[in-house]
Amino acid sequence: MVEKLKHETWGSKLGIILAVAGSAVGLGNFLRFPVQAANNGGGAFMIPYFISLFLIGIPLMWIEWAIGRYGGVHGHTTAPGMFHRLWDNRLGKYFGVIGIFGPMVIFIYYVYIESWLLGYSFYSLTGVLTDIPDKESMAKFLSAYQGQEINAYFQSPAPAYLFFLITILLNITIIFRGVRRGIESLCKIAMPMLFLAAVILVIRVVTLDPPYPDKPDWNILNGFGYLWNPDFSALLNAKTWLAAAGQVFFTLSVGIGVILTYASYLKRGDDIALSGLTAASTNEFAEVILGGSIVIPLAFAFFGPVDMKEVASSGAFNLGFVSMPFIFSKISLGALFSFLWFFLLFLAGLTSSISLIEPAVAFVRDDFQVDRKKAAAIMGAIAFILCQPAIFFLGHGVVDELDFWGGTFCLVLFGTIEAILFSWAFGIDRAWEEIHHGAQLNIPKIYKWIIKYVTPVLLLIILGTWIVQQGLSTIMMENVKDGDAPYVFGTRIGLMALFVALAVLVRIWHKKTFKGGADK
Amino acid sequence: MTLFGWLFMAISWTLIIALLVFCFSRVLREKEEDL
Repeated sequence: MVEKLKHETWGSKLGIILAVAGSAVGLGNFLRFPVQAANNGGGAFMIPYFISLFLIGIPLMWIEWAIGRYGGVHGHTTAPGMFHRLWDNRLGKYFGVIGIFGPMVIFIYYVYIESWLLGYSFYSLTGVLTDIPDKESMAKFLSAYQGQEINAYFQSPAPAYLFFLITILLNITIIFRGVRRGIESLCKIAMPMLFLAAVILVIRVVTLDPPYPDKPDWNILNGFGYLWNPDFSALLNAKTWLAAAGQVFFTLSVGIGVILTYASYLKRGDDIALSGLTAASTNEFAEVILGGSIVIPLAFAFFGPVDMKEVASSGAFNLGFVSMPFIFSKISLGALFSFLWFFLLFLAGLTSSISLIEPAVAFVRDDFQVDRKKAAAIMGAIAFILCQPAIFFLGHGVVDELDFWGGTFCLVLFGTIEAILFSWAFGIDRAWEEIHHGAQLNIPKIYKWIIKYVTPVLLLIILGTWIVQQGLSTIMMENVKDGDAPYVFGTRIGLMALFVALAVLVRIWHKKTFKGGADK
Repeated sequence: MTLFGWLFMAISWTLIIALLVFCFSRVLREKEEDL
């Protein structure tokens, strides 16, 4: 009989808090949040934002930590085994497949975007970026870097591919080293560095004089006003509430499956109530305070109130990769600040991407008893192959399609399923007891009611509204250009094949593990 | 920046910093006890 592999554990409480916070803090904190807030009522956006944080985000965080630790105690490190434990039904484990499939799909395109950040860090340090004269040229630089066009900046996507190879190798190496020596060690170094870089940038932003002496109103303080001055009429619009709920949901890394795996490396007596809240509040600090103090105030000071609207609605990539380096090229020591900006985003991306590939590696390692190094090599090779369409068909809607299924649909669906399974199938009394086992924080009792009723109902409303408003048109490929349809359809077929392959593996694992009906 | 802008920013920042300080003070205290 093959000897069972030793269950991996975290080395310290701070280690898992920083790892979960690292998974949550990503590009969205610095680019998506400020734009969402500025476009949806400014300061007034924070009312639905905090309501969503306390009614959806934090409860779901506790739910995932609790399911993860409970699963880990029973030898499960991924969602299929955990859901099978929560719900004595043959469907449970298949719902759990989403918790491996979703993060893997996000990893496929996220790691490529992360590699752009490494590339841009390099081009910042070498002064190439800050030598670019205007925004149009900056857009051309990005386009050529991505391989979408050939121009004076790049004749091929080879440099971008080189940075992609470095980035994916770095990810796999960290995962290869395991939970303590890989993930925990990295997060203990990368998270403080990330915060330091962000604080330096915030100090630079708030001490910046108005860039154009003839336009004194284009200043940082009015930039903060653009973000924080409340427009109370926005609160009457359902779109604002959905945007706030969506932002909270996406920023905390809930509904993906990664927190389940991270929490499975805890021991039975370890606290989850305080740790979960600490990870969430660390993410909020990075998002609202640091994320809200860089991009919008800076962009306002350089582009003014009229163009700011266009900049804010031009999308996160345009803001991060075109507007920001252009601004840095206009300030003293711009190359250094540009490097800090891209390197902080790269660190945020790296601590997130390793968490995205970990569930798949944990599934192979723990459910098929494959040594971690081999499991990391296998999943790394598969992920590398799956990344290729995202790289070479970038301009044909492949990344948007991957983001729709992995980064949006699966998140909301999986979050809803786990909230319902935990509080209803597992039972709210057991669930409440599970959250409080070893707790170093007394959660107010009202949260028992919130976790049972409010969170699942709000998640069902978000899921339903989102499917009606955006989901159906995307599923029916209504907004896909004719030339892109084969690529989008091909991506969809590939994703279906990946999901089916994972479901078959889950079935094989289940038969192997629970043969003879020895389920519990 | 209007008065309401300052108010919303101050409340949001205070709430988040208070939560962060509360959480980390508890986490680090427990860690010391473990040692």
